[in-house]
Amino acid sequence: MSQATSLRKTDVTLTINGKSYTRQVEPRRLLVDFIRHDVGLKATHIGCEHGVCGACTVRIDGRTARSCLHFAVAVQGAEIETLEGLSADGRLAGLQKAFHDAHGLQCGYCTPGVLLTAEEFLSENPEPSEQEIRAALSNNLCRCTGYVNIVKAIANAARDRDKTTADPAGESRK
Amino acid sequence: MIAQGHPRSIGKHVPRREDPYLLRGEGRFLDDIAEPKDTLFLSFAMSPHAHARILAIRTDAASALPGVVAVYTAEDMARFVKPIRTVIEIQGYRASSRMVLAQDEVRFVGEHVAVVVAEDPYIAQDAAELIEVDYEPLPAAVRLEEADSESAPLVHEDIPRNVMFEAAFASPDFQAAFESAEMIVSETFRTGRVAGVPLEPRGCLALLDHVADSLLFYTSTQIPHLARTALSEILDFPEPRIRVVTPEVGGGFGTKAQFYTEEVVTAALALNLRRPIKWVQDRREELLTSIHARDHIYRLEAAIDGEGRIKALRTDLTTNAGAYSSYPFGCTLEATGGARMIVGPYDIRNYAFHTRAIATHTCPSGAYRGVAQPSCFMAIEGLMDRIGRKLGIDPATVRQRNLIRSEQLPYTNVLGVRYDTGSYEECLRRALERVDYWNFRKRQAEARDDDEVLRGIGICCFTEVAGAGSGGWRVRGLTKVPGFDSASIKVEPTGKVTLLVSQAAAGQGHLTTFAQVLADYLGVKVEDVFVSEGDTATAPYGTNTFASRGAVAAGGAVIKAAQSLRQKIARIAAFLLDVDVERVELTESKAIDKENPEKSVDFRQVAQIAYSMTSVALPQGESFGLEVVEMYDPPLATWPNAVHAVVVAVDRRTAKVSIEKYVVVHDSGRLINPMIVDGQIHGGIVQGIGEALMEQIVYDEDGQMLNANLLDYLMPMALDVPQIDISHIETPSIDALGGFKGVGEGGVIGAVPAVTNAVADALARTGANINRLPLRPSYLLREMRRRQLAVDGDRK
Repeated sequence: MSQATSLRKTDVTLTINGKSYTRQVEPRRLLVDFIRHDVGLKATHIGCEHGVCGACTVRIDGRTARSCLHFAVAVQGAEIETLEGLSADGRLAGLQKAFHDAHGLQCGYCTPGVLLTAEEFLSENPEPSEQEIRAALSNNLCRCTGYVNIVKAIANAARDRDKTTADPAGESRK
Repeated sequence: MIAQGHPRSIGKHVPRREDPYLLRGEGRFLDDIAEPKDTLFLSFAMSPHAHARILAIRTDAASALPGVVAVYTAEDMARFVKPIRTVIEIQGYRASSRMVLAQDEVRFVGEHVAVVVAEDPYIAQDAAELIEVDYEPLPAAVRLEEADSESAPLVHEDIPRNVMFEAAFASPDFQAAFESAEMIVSETFRTGRVAGVPLEPRGCLALLDHVADSLLFYTSTQIPHLARTALSEILDFPEPRIRVVTPEVGGGFGTKAQFYTEEVVTAALALNLRRPIKWVQDRREELLTSIHARDHIYRLEAAIDGEGRIKALRTDLTTNAGAYSSYPFGCTLEATGGARMIVGPYDIRNYAFHTRAIATHTCPSGAYRGVAQPSCFMAIEGLMDRIGRKLGIDPATVRQRNLIRSEQLPYTNVLGVRYDTGSYEECLRRALERVDYWNFRKRQAEARDDDEVLRGIGICCFTEVAGAGSGGWRVRGLTKVPGFDSASIKVEPTGKVTLLVSQAAAGQGHLTTFAQVLADYLGVKVEDVFVSEGDTATAPYGTNTFASRGAVAAGGAVIKAAQSLRQKIARIAAFLLDVDVERVELTESKAIDKENPEKSVDFRQVAQIAYSMTSVALPQGESFGLEVVEMYDPPLATWPNAVHAVVVAVDRRTAKVSIEKYVVVHDSGRLINPMIVDGQIHGGIVQGIGEALMEQIVYDEDGQMLNANLLDYLMPMALDVPQIDISHIETPSIDALGGFKGVGEGGVIGAVPAVTNAVADALARTGANINRLPLRPSYLLREMRRRQLAVDGDRK
């Protein structure tokens, strides 16, 4: 056990929301701790630390993943996106509005993960059925809303996306 | 009281103020607070035994680990921390004392035996693993049925037979009524052990203000004021020098309405080491040590007449208290709750109960959303169905015959508790209509024995004890739970309004709803009101947020404070407008002359005078400032009521339960924000579906928790949730200010019995008797096979 702590720290460089961060961390440092505590971006939450609840969902190289199941060192050089980044560049504006209008959040702890799941899901399935939305939400536990208004918010966001052209800011950023 | 022309905010779907920052990920939860650089982190060494004597604790290896600052055991802590003793002033209660770290003996798996203080949370955890404890394992009383016996191992030496609480009651004519009835219907119901499992685990951060020699204590709690008082008493540190702040709280559900040992340890070590201390638990610790609930056995006997009317009811209730009385509600909460609430919306005039809380070598139980009500209504509503089956009367009709009729209200129940208003018959009538009950029964009668799917319908009629005031808590001996809540209103010199409320929300949207209440009662624009709560340095004292009390208790306090402050505003406005004060009406942040409505002054003009910021002097006899604090003590309780009606389909081969229809007709009195109310009901229902169908904390016979993780503690996912059809009846409370009745727990209270009854109804044709939770496929298949009517899974 004690040798675990004597493991040498290594430099890990990650691009988070377009900005490069290098930190000296132990090999066992979780990606979520790197993001939250080494970089200080707190929108990504920790609910279980064993990959079930989805509160820590981020994007790693464009795909959603649970940041509690990755070591920071194992994703060396990756492009990470968190709620802060997606929110700031407006890619989540439609979803955020839909969640606000439909009361799709209560305590808000699961919400960052849910938004990232929903964003990826809608980009791949712009016209989902209710059942498909529910299946996509298998990534995320929510203990407050009973999912009722989360499902409604995502359905409404999909409907409203149809009406407006996709936000080009998100596309051009990369 | 509310001005005629004032646009109403109460009753509107006002979008939540909490949303924008939460949706950007800017909500500041406990672990999001940037701790100072010199912060130290805690990790606890936990008992691997359910019951053992501690022979020796060796901390050398842990202490020697680089980065470790200190290691404490119970002996060390005893020098500056008193034991936690839950005071409950009720006959039959035996208090258990608990040290914040186990001393001499451990009583449940996960109980803390030592704590490491280190410079880094990873190192703290490493060191906790290096603590060596010699235990002498002792026989454990794990299951309720085992602990409740003469020969069971004792959890506390000074609590004979593990009975931590025992009480009995019989109404004067009970015995005669019971004995003279035509027949007896009885059943035993066994509920499952579950937990609240908020998505954010618990944690706290203690900071010292060295100048003021005071403690700033952030904690993820629903009870900041009660926590502050408890900290002061247990640490013997002056209460005025403690400031408790609840940051954003990631779900509470009662789990965080308890005050925990880790909070004491964190605060104590900060004071002792003169350093900031932070502790955040992981999910395993959360499931092992945050309160559990609902592990109950109900034995019911109803004496009935030939038409299914209950002439007398007897309840024998046994609850699992766990190893210690949790704080502040203790082991009596579920035991008194289940025994007292079970009469519900029914006109039961003769009643007797015997209720007990039994200590076991498991995690302490406490106040999870709904407390005993999901269980006691599962029992009484299950009994209603059995009365129907026994007599060949439809169970909906049995309920109709037993419900308190509208003309009986206000009604004093057999325990002397007053129900002021309600809509019991109307809720049932509408629910039956919306679920298409009688047509379902027709179709069900046509079902065939070889159908692959069995369909059933379940009903739950219930009342909910909500918004309890000081009287309500005293009746149950909980004298350390004040019962009142409070509001402080300040109209600032600029005319904008600060509202401080003695609550601490965990997702209920208080910043929005209390602004709505104040807007109407003070005559101010809702956007001019800023709401703040959860900080004991600013908010007035109160009972805080649990037991469906926020809207009732704090809503009442806001109204009371508004009524008081509006008089002063009106007086100053009358002086400015040069009219009689009776002619002044407050609306939309203005005071107008009712008889000449274009004549008005706005709140800013009034405030400028009150704060002496204009050339106009304050009228003679007025005091400076525009602020008021009011405490409001609600009635014994308010009584929301509702009916849930559920249709399920059970697959004969797999026993998988699908919910096909879910109808709720709910009466919470006057609704402040229907959107938020529906959200509360949705969330409660889904927790109830979890409790009925899948959730269960499993201890093995040695007291090891087998599923202390979220893979194995199954909670509902989006795919498990049906469409939920909610409709409201609004029968305002006449006993509580504002007419609000509270809504936090209704969803789960109705869901557990309704889903259980629906499954039991579906399986009734197989002869299965479903009377225990959770309704997992393994249990349902076993019950179906017992009658050899289930279709053999291999046949296809």
